[in-house]
Formats: sequence, C-alpha cells, structure tokens
Amino acid sequence: MNSDRTAKMLWSATALGGAAAGASYFVAGAPRFWANWVVWFLFLLTLALGALFLVALEHLVSARWSVPLRRIPERLASLLIPLCAVGLAALGSLQALFPGARPAAAADPLIAGKAAWLGAPFFSARVALCAALGLLPLAVLLRGSLRQDRDRDPRFTIRARRFAPVCMGIFALLVTQAAFDWIGGLTPAWYSDVIGVYLFAGAFMAGLAACVLAVVYLKGRERLPAIRFDHVYNLGAFLFAFTVFWAYIAFAQYMLMWYGNLPDEVLWYQAHTGGAWLGVALLLALLHFFVPFFALVPWDAKGDLKRLRWVAVVVLAAHWLDLYWLVFPALGGPLFSWPELGFALFFGGGTLLWVRGAMERGEDMPVGDPFLREGLEFRL
Amino acid sequence: MNETFAVLGLFDSAQALMEAVPKVKAMNLGRLEAYTPYPVHGLDRALDQRRSPLAGMVMVMGVLGALTALLFQYWISAVDYPIVTGGKAPSSWQAFVPIMFEVMVLFATFTAGLGMLLLLNRLPYFGHPVLQSKAIRGITRDRFALAVEAGEGFDPEAARTALEAAGARDIEFVPAPPRGPWLTAAFIQRSLAGIAVVCLVSGLVMYGAVKFIPVLPPMVHMEDQPRLDPQAESAFFPDGRGMRMPVAGTVARGFLPPGFTTEDEAARLVNPLPRTPAVLARGRAEYEIRCAVCHGVLGNGIPTLSAAYGAKPANLQAPGFRAYSDGRIYGAIVLGKNAMPSYAADLPEDARWAVVHYVRALQRAQNAKDEDLK
Repeated sequence: MNSDRTAKMLWSATALGGAAAGASYFVAGAPRFWANWVVWFLFLLTLALGALFLVALEHLVSARWSVPLRRIPERLASLLIPLCAVGLAALGSLQALFPGARPAAAADPLIAGKAAWLGAPFFSARVALCAALGLLPLAVLLRGSLRQDRDRDPRFTIRARRFAPVCMGIFALLVTQAAFDWIGGLTPAWYSDVIGVYLFAGAFMAGLAACVLAVVYLKGRERLPAIRFDHVYNLGAFLFAFTVFWAYIAFAQYMLMWYGNLPDEVLWYQAHTGGAWLGVALLLALLHFFVPFFALVPWDAKGDLKRLRWVAVVVLAAHWLDLYWLVFPALGGPLFSWPELGFALFFGGGTLLWVRGAMERGEDMPVGDPFLREGLEFRL
Repeated sequence: MNETFAVLGLFDSAQALMEAVPKVKAMNLGRLEAYTPYPVHGLDRALDQRRSPLAGMVMVMGVLGALTALLFQYWISAVDYPIVTGGKAPSSWQAFVPIMFEVMVLFATFTAGLGMLLLLNRLPYFGHPVLQSKAIRGITRDRFALAVEAGEGFDPEAARTALEAAGARDIEFVPAPPRGPWLTAAFIQRSLAGIAVVCLVSGLVMYGAVKFIPVLPPMVHMEDQPRLDPQAESAFFPDGRGMRMPVAGTVARGFLPPGFTTEDEAARLVNPLPRTPAVLARGRAEYEIRCAVCHGVLGNGIPTLSAAYGAKPANLQAPGFRAYSDGRIYGAIVLGKNAMPSYAADLPEDARWAVVHYVRALQRAQNAKDEDLK
C-alpha cells in the first residue's frame, strides 16, 4: 500500500470519527462526549509522557543502550504539542463531569473544604500551567536533539544531562496533576495517595508499547537496520517489569482500601467493581497484567518483535480500558457503542497522522550523539 | 606429563570470545566449554548447549508456591479454624494475595538458586581441572577462556592452532587430574539426603517410643503439678475429698450468726456505724447491687428490673416502712420478709448496717422537710 493511500485512509477515518464524535455530543449527551474526550486526552497524554520519561531516563542515568532508539520516544513525545490544545479543550468537561467545579460544590459538606482547589478557575490555571510545563522538555530535549543531528555538537548532550532531573520533576508533576485532577476530580470525596503512581505505571507501559510498535513500523521499512535483538530486549524487559509494577500498585491500592473499609475510600471501589463494572475490572486485570506477563516471561520473548508487536497492541488496548474504567463509572454503568468507536477513530487516526509526520522529521537515529556508537555496540 | 584435560584459549573481551566460538566449533576438535568472569548472554546458544530447564522449573515451582500458600491459608482461615478478622469473611482471597506472592517468590528463588548450583551446575566442584590452571586467576577477573576438552582421538596441537587462529591471546594446556575430587555436588546431595533420612527415622522412633512404650514419661512442663484443685477428688484422705471440712463452730469473718430469730427481736438493735460519707457510699453501692433491682433506685418499690414474677416489691417510702427502726430493717435483711429471701449470706455485717443508713437517707431525701433545705 503506498503512503498516499494510507494518508487518505487515515484522514478519512479521522474525519469520520470526528463527525461521529461531534454527533455524539448532541445525541448521546454532553457527559458522555466529555468522558470520551477526557479518556482519550489522558490516553495520549500518558503515552506521550511515558515516551518522554524514557528520553529523560536516558539522559538522567547516561544510558547507552537506548541511544540508537531515542529518536522514537522523542517523536512520540512530540504529541504533547497537539495535546496542549486537547487538554485545554477538555476544560469544557468541568461542568458536565466534575462535581467540584459545579456551584453546588460549596454546599456539599464533603467537598466544601476543597471547593477552592477543585473549582473551575484554579483547575483551569493548573491545566494551563501544566501545558506550559509540558512544552518545556520538548523545547530543550527534542529541539536540541534534532539540532545535534546537523551540527554534531556534544554541548547538547551535556545540557540534556543537566536538564534531565528538571524534566523528571516536570514529568512527576504532570502525571500527578493528570491523576489527581482529571481522575480524582471525578469523585472528589474519594481519596487515594497512590493514584498518581498507578497512572505513572500505566503511562510508562503505554509509552514503551508505542515505542515497540514504532520500532516495528520503522524496521518494516528497513529504516532501523542497526537495531538488534539486544536493544529490543531491553524495551521488552522494561515492558515486562512494568506489567508487574502496574499490577503491584493496582492491587496494593485495592487491598488497602478493601481492608480499611473506610467510606471515603471503599465507595469508589463499589462503584468501579459493582455490577457490570466487575467484568470490566477483571478484563482489565487479564489484559493489563496476566496476558502481557505470561507472554513476556520466556527469555527470548522479550526481544522477539513478532511477539512484542501483539503484546504492545494488547497493552495499549488495556491502557485505554484502564482509563475507561477509571473515568466512565462517573456516568453510571459501562457504555460502549458508536460514540466510543467514533472517538477511537478520531483520536486514533489523528495520532497516527501526527506520528507519521513526526517519523519523517530528522534522522531515524540521533546521529550527532557522541554515545551512538556505544549504543549500537550494546550487548546484553 | 599427564594426559591433557583441555586446551584453554584466553581472550580479552566477551565479544572476542563470542566471535571465536563459531570458528573453533567449525573445526570439530572436541567438546567446547567457556569460562567467563560474568554471565555472557547468548554464549550458551553459541556453544550449542541444550536449553536450560531452569526457567521451566522456576515457573512451575513459582506457581506451585502461590497455590500452596493459597490452599494453606484457605485451609487455616476458612476450614480448620474459621475466624472473622476485621469484619472480613474467613475466606477473603484478597488477604491471601501478599502471602501467596511471598511464597511464590520464596519457592521460585530457592528453585533458581539451588537448582542452578546443585542440580544443574553440580556445584561445588572444587577439584575441577580448570581451577588448577594458571589462567584461572585471570578468568575470575577480566579474561574469557574457551576450552576445547579432550575426547576420543584428541589432538592438543590442533586445538592450539585452532584457538590461535580464532584470536586467542594465550594458550594453556590443562592436565587431567590424577584422581577425582571428593567434595562434589553428588557427595553433598547424598550427605543432605542421609541427614534428612536420619532425622526422619529418629523422629519417628522417638515418637513411637514416647507414645507406645511408656518407659520415659515425656516432659510436660507445667501441665502436670502436684496440687489439689478445689472440689477435686484425692486419694490422700480417707474420705476421698480433696477439700477439708472446717472445724465445727468455725465462723467466717463478718458473718457472725445473728443473735435473733424474729424481726421484733431485731428491732431493738442500734446501728453501730457512724453516718459518714464513706459508709453512705458503701451503703449506696450495696443497695444498688442487691436491693434496687426490686425496691427501685429511690426505694419507692418501682423496680429497675420489671417484675416478671408476681410479687410486688415493698415501697420503702411508705409511712409504715419509714416508721421502722434501724434494727427492724436490719432484721428484714438478715431474715428476709415475705417473698424476699435472706441477704445474710451476701452482705457482711457492716455492709448490712451501711445499707440501713442508705435506706434511711433515701427515705429522708424523698420526704424532705423545709428546714432540710436550709
């Protein structure tokens, strides 16, 4: 299939999805429209932040193995640019979804004390601040990396290492804001310390899975011939490790709340595991932990792109399901029909168009990085 | 010189070793083995070694560990001794998961460590010929050795040539040892199995000896004491009772027999106790325990316990009872009155008199005169 036809198909899928998504606002109602919007915003945000985490981690710990792969998470992290607009648009959901932003919040004794924090003005200010903070790593790490392709100046590598700790701080702030505001804000009477870590685990898995699919895409076009089993193995090992980390955090949160049985904690789980949501929660455990865990247990599976490819697809689907499970119980029972499919087409198509474009920017490897040779020679 | 055990070719890096393996393998000189300071990924495949069964063993034992912990906890918490903890059902699977996780890790790591060392690598093996070589000090530090082991029709010189052609920096001929080592994995496994069998057999013998041959009384610590329990039988005394009868005429402290048999005789007695707050407090305490159940907290005959049985308790506030002398009330406590039994066995003498004071106080409180308020 030539690339013009692919582009045409992607554009038409996006347009069709956009039309369906727009129609759902009027047919299915504003809350469902905005819930879908928030789920897809968080899905792409966590994916981009997970990719950014991989870039920042490399600079922070001076990793060598990931240097030849670094351009891939850099390109994925560039999704943060359109996501600023998506996130600011998501502020339209405040009245429809977030009880703390409604005028009635001041009269609710459970959340009246948090009203100033949850209210629309400060909520919007936080989102705007995070959008600005999210663009900062792009300006330093991505622009600098592309410039280094041309001038081969090691100064960028030094600057990136100095900036990496700051970038980690920004990353932590953004993930925590996403978890506490966009997910915690849906049920402001509920409180969980660990929800930010939970979202981080899912974010890094989504970022790694997207990187795996990008490696498959580029290798299929013979654009990454120097990437060997050893490099892919590390991506797979990270993905494997974080399936366990995600399950650990998810179960830790569940078990502590189940044991404590406090009304401000356990009601959330009653809503999220009651009725048909129990099936969704079990499916989530299956797809987010059991399937990728057992698929990646064998040693050579972690470096096998054929196996990693479908595991990455499962992980991305599970991450979407995770966010769906976190957000949609605010509307009642599980809803899945044409509005959700429309949103998937719209955001999925749009993301693929953006990433496809990003794949053409700069070289496929950071050719100016002084550690590229060491990275290429990396062996397990 | 002894027969050769192997020819060692020494390399400076893992990569040089990896590149040499296929070249030497192609010469088909004998079995190849590699010695490296740290695990080199992919070396086992390059040497055509069979895939280690360790991964499968760890998987099976890990799952087995998790299941063991699950069944064990379920049996303890829900079957053998069901107990509700923290308001949760005894068979709550959520509470079992952390233990399942820990036992899974325990089984898996023990299998990985012991299986790798004892079963698969057959360690310890102190008498390995390569340990006697000059190169071993380098191999444990920064050098990588490829060994061509001697077999049928082995030609050491051909092996040296092949290794040098493959890029070996140094060559060493390792002689075969004169005799095998004694401290081997097989020896240790046999010893451990022997110790286990001895423990099992001696344990069973001890159990049988103590249980079926009553030669040695087993130590039972503090369960068996040379002591007489109350109401217990005893062969020591002729009448077979453990407890002795008191000497005839013994009187317990505070329970002197009253010197009267009718209320009229008691009416002459005078309350020996002073009206102090301590006496009134004691009287109130005893009254509320023994008397208030029927006569009411205020002494007005309205009981705290609704009278399910027919008799109507006396209203101590009635004029007839207010006219009673202290001694007559005391007499009623000791002798009982109508349906009321004697309380002599429950109240010592001073407690009865304290109750009398308190009844008087109740009567006065419910029928106060104007000057009492001044």
